[in-house]
Amino acid sequence: MARNESTTDFDLGDGPAAPLLEVDDLRVHFTTDGGLVKAVDGVSWYVDEGETLAIVGESGSGKSVSAMSILGLVPSPPAVFPSGDIRLRGRSILALPEKQQRKLRGSEIAMIFQDPLTALNPVFKVGDQIAEMVTNHQHVSKTVARRKVLDLLGEVGIPNPGVRINQYPHEFSGGMRQRAMIAMALANDPKVLLADEPTTALDVTIQAQIMLLLEKLQEERNTAIVLITHDLGLVASHADRINVMYAGRIVESGSCDDVFYRPQHAYTYGLLSSLARMDRSRQERLLPITGMPPSLSNVPPGCPFHPRCRFATEACSEALPPLDTVVLPETDGGGLHRAACIHSDQVQIAFEERLAQ
Amino acid sequence: MAKFITRRLAHAVLVIIAATFLIYLGLFTLGDPFASSGEKTVPPEIQEALRAKFGMDQPFFMQYLTYLQNMFTFDFGIDFEQRRDVADMLATAVPATARLALFAIIIEVIIGLTAGIIAAVAPYTFRDVFITIITTLGIGIPVFVIGIGLRAWLSGEWIFPAVPRSFTVETPWWQEIILPALTLAILDAAFIARLMRGSMLEVLRADFIRTARAKGISERKVIGKHAFRNSIIPVVTYTGVSLGVLLGGALITERIFEYQGLGYLLVRAISQHNNPVIVPIVVFAVVVFVLLSTLVDILYAYLDPRIRLH
Amino acid sequence: MTTPPQSGREPDTHVPAEALMTRFEAPDPDSTETGPKNGRRKNGSTGQFKEIWRRYKRNKLAVVGLALVIFLMVLAILQPWITPFDPMEQNPINSRNPPSARHWFGTDILGRDMFSGIVYGTRLAMIVGWSVMILSLVVGLALGAIAGFRGKATDSIIMRITDIVLAFPALIGAILVVQIFGNGIPQVIIALVILSWPTAARLMRGSTLSLRESEYVEAARSIGASDTRIVTRHILPNAIGPTLIYSFSHIGVAIVAMASLAFLGIGVPADIPEWGTMIAKAVPSLNVEGEAHMWMFPSLAIVITTLAFAFVADGLRDSIDPKLR
Repeated sequence: MARNESTTDFDLGDGPAAPLLEVDDLRVHFTTDGGLVKAVDGVSWYVDEGETLAIVGESGSGKSVSAMSILGLVPSPPAVFPSGDIRLRGRSILALPEKQQRKLRGSEIAMIFQDPLTALNPVFKVGDQIAEMVTNHQHVSKTVARRKVLDLLGEVGIPNPGVRINQYPHEFSGGMRQRAMIAMALANDPKVLLADEPTTALDVTIQAQIMLLLEKLQEERNTAIVLITHDLGLVASHADRINVMYAGRIVESGSCDDVFYRPQHAYTYGLLSSLARMDRSRQERLLPITGMPPSLSNVPPGCPFHPRCRFATEACSEALPPLDTVVLPETDGGGLHRAACIHSDQVQIAFEERLAQ
Repeated sequence: MAKFITRRLAHAVLVIIAATFLIYLGLFTLGDPFASSGEKTVPPEIQEALRAKFGMDQPFFMQYLTYLQNMFTFDFGIDFEQRRDVADMLATAVPATARLALFAIIIEVIIGLTAGIIAAVAPYTFRDVFITIITTLGIGIPVFVIGIGLRAWLSGEWIFPAVPRSFTVETPWWQEIILPALTLAILDAAFIARLMRGSMLEVLRADFIRTARAKGISERKVIGKHAFRNSIIPVVTYTGVSLGVLLGGALITERIFEYQGLGYLLVRAISQHNNPVIVPIVVFAVVVFVLLSTLVDILYAYLDPRIRLH
Repeated sequence: MTTPPQSGREPDTHVPAEALMTRFEAPDPDSTETGPKNGRRKNGSTGQFKEIWRRYKRNKLAVVGLALVIFLMVLAILQPWITPFDPMEQNPINSRNPPSARHWFGTDILGRDMFSGIVYGTRLAMIVGWSVMILSLVVGLALGAIAGFRGKATDSIIMRITDIVLAFPALIGAILVVQIFGNGIPQVIIALVILSWPTAARLMRGSTLSLRESEYVEAARSIGASDTRIVTRHILPNAIGPTLIYSFSHIGVAIVAMASLAFLGIGVPADIPEWGTMIAKAVPSLNVEGEAHMWMFPSLAIVITTLAFAFVADGLRDSIDPKLR
């Protein structure tokens, strides 16, 4: 598939070896009547072509806010951005004037949302909504845009594109709507696709179809996918690398295997222990994480997870542990594995004991 | 969609039949509509002519049919006061009222939508609070107070003709219409602004607005196309119904500014117990109101495709 | 048939900044306050009223409105002792006097004391406003509950009647009723009730319909509760909210409607001091220097009254049912 002409003056061809998309020390705070809410508090990650990065966390951990900041979808006020940069191929997006930023949205970086019913405008035809994405970024005639939409609908597996193109969102089923959303997101061949809980609102059988579709399209187009989810199962089978977020920070980051088989943070350990696993013949007892995620306007001192943590000691409440590289003797490459936990050795032992059970 | 429209129209026809029957019952069978009342004496020959025209010597059901036939063939009889053909009177009053109604609706929609959108895109700012205060006052002040105020302060000044009108001076229609139209528009503009602000605020919180922004389209287009098209729906409903009321005669406003429309005729006819004029105006007002409401329902289904399914 | 949107129903008013953020997953600081887990919600209605009052108090305009409404009610009740003159007493020599120490608001075209007339008009407005509200609420609740609970033919008949009544533009409908029943304050009240019960009934029917299928009504039915008991004990208390809010917001509408009729010289006898008739009598003086008091004071009375009731209705809506925002 040929790349469409880029409408941005963003030259992505000969940049330095910077990652495709890079988020650097991003902070997103909200000023509210109830105090300052630190939704995202110093988060850094990157993603490269053809790669799937998963951002995992409970609701309220800041995973969606960090993704939406990339597209400028966080309203300011009430949001403020005390620090951080977002770079596409090494060039800062945030430094660009609003008009330039807008040109990137939908063309270089596109997003699909959680609930495809509410994410599509109910009063416009699905085909027109997808065509708007095309005509907004490419100077093409209506007929060309329409043909493009028909191709896209076929590509995402919507049967009868000729009929569907003239229908309204409420005439689509949930899975079909999400396919239409994907078609819209891919209309301009974006280099990065942000997928915010893309399957949460769907039936389990449909979920698998949508993920397979995303994988297929990723392979064909070499798109980078940022998969934002609370669903560890989804991550296990589809992500290359994982960032675990808690209370607005990344607490553990590493390859899929590292995080799933060698968790180094007590929170990751908690998540994995509360998850029923199909790959085990005998099911160990599930251990739920006690308590509630902290209010982001009043994050506990030290490690924000310590009030709920089974490994917590006094030291945990004193200082915020940095996201340090984990060095494990048996690590076989797989990229950098980092965790922000001072008890990662104990976590490792506890996890291995659990596996051995 | 065709089925939906047919059903709506059938419903409207039924409601019109029932309502005209009620009007008939109320005005004709409870008392003699053409009898002299109070100090007013109606010449017996006119009474007789009217009774014959409305078939009042015939059985009840036939009377009703005659009345219906008269109403829908624009055969209303002669009015008591000026001995003029009522159909002729209405032929000048209806266009006057329609002109006033359309003028008022245009003003109120332009002002109301603009104010509502300005308030909604920047909620809780100075602009928004200012607009909210104005609209609250606009809604709280009854239309006849607004009209009286405008007449007291503005009539006879600048381009606004004096009320009561002097018959020696010819005033162009737009000068005559401007104060009454403004009176009608102030209340409705305030209401539309409030409605638009509320519905747009709600729509702006919707997920599909986020999607539109994520597409990289300009904020102007996000508001003007995606949010506008969704939040306009309640405003269309309100405006349509409001137009339906106004087309039947703006009684108070026409009375205040002595604007010679349906409302003015009706109020004068009531004070003169002039039934041949009252009956057709009331029937006209109801028919127009029902038809406009039906039109609004159909328009609603056109604007919101989700409705069409039901 | 579409009904005109009611002034009290649009979803605006106050959206706190934190509400803007809920879609970004930030926690809602209010959630800990209203959550069921902390057992703050008491059983029984006293707790509920306290909660409503707590929310009501936060709306300053609503509190001002409530104070004004109470003031107007007191004025209305104490009218015979407050008015310095007999509001009906004519005194043609003192016609159209400007405000003075003797006549605070001046005198009207018949030489009657305007202040006394306006206070008398307050009494009239309160009587008509509250009577219309209570009567249309009772009729609307009863017929709406029956329509919603019985369904089938009963429902269709009641709903078709509301369709027909709502086919009349409000003022035209009121004029028609008054034409039939004749002039007088009771006739005006009847006319306004006839025109306002259908909306109340429709609201009530809607809430009843949704509650009829609810699980707790099923539960009550399964233990053999009678229809009457189900309607009065289970449906009415839970369905009454929106109808009550509508009826309350309708008090101001009824007062304006009566004044409008009176202004047009329809229904309200011309010799009764009523705000609308007072303004109508002032029309010939509109552009006369020094006679503005004749229309300004009654206009001001109407504006203050309608605004007061509108503020209270808004406050009630927000505090009884925050979801309606």
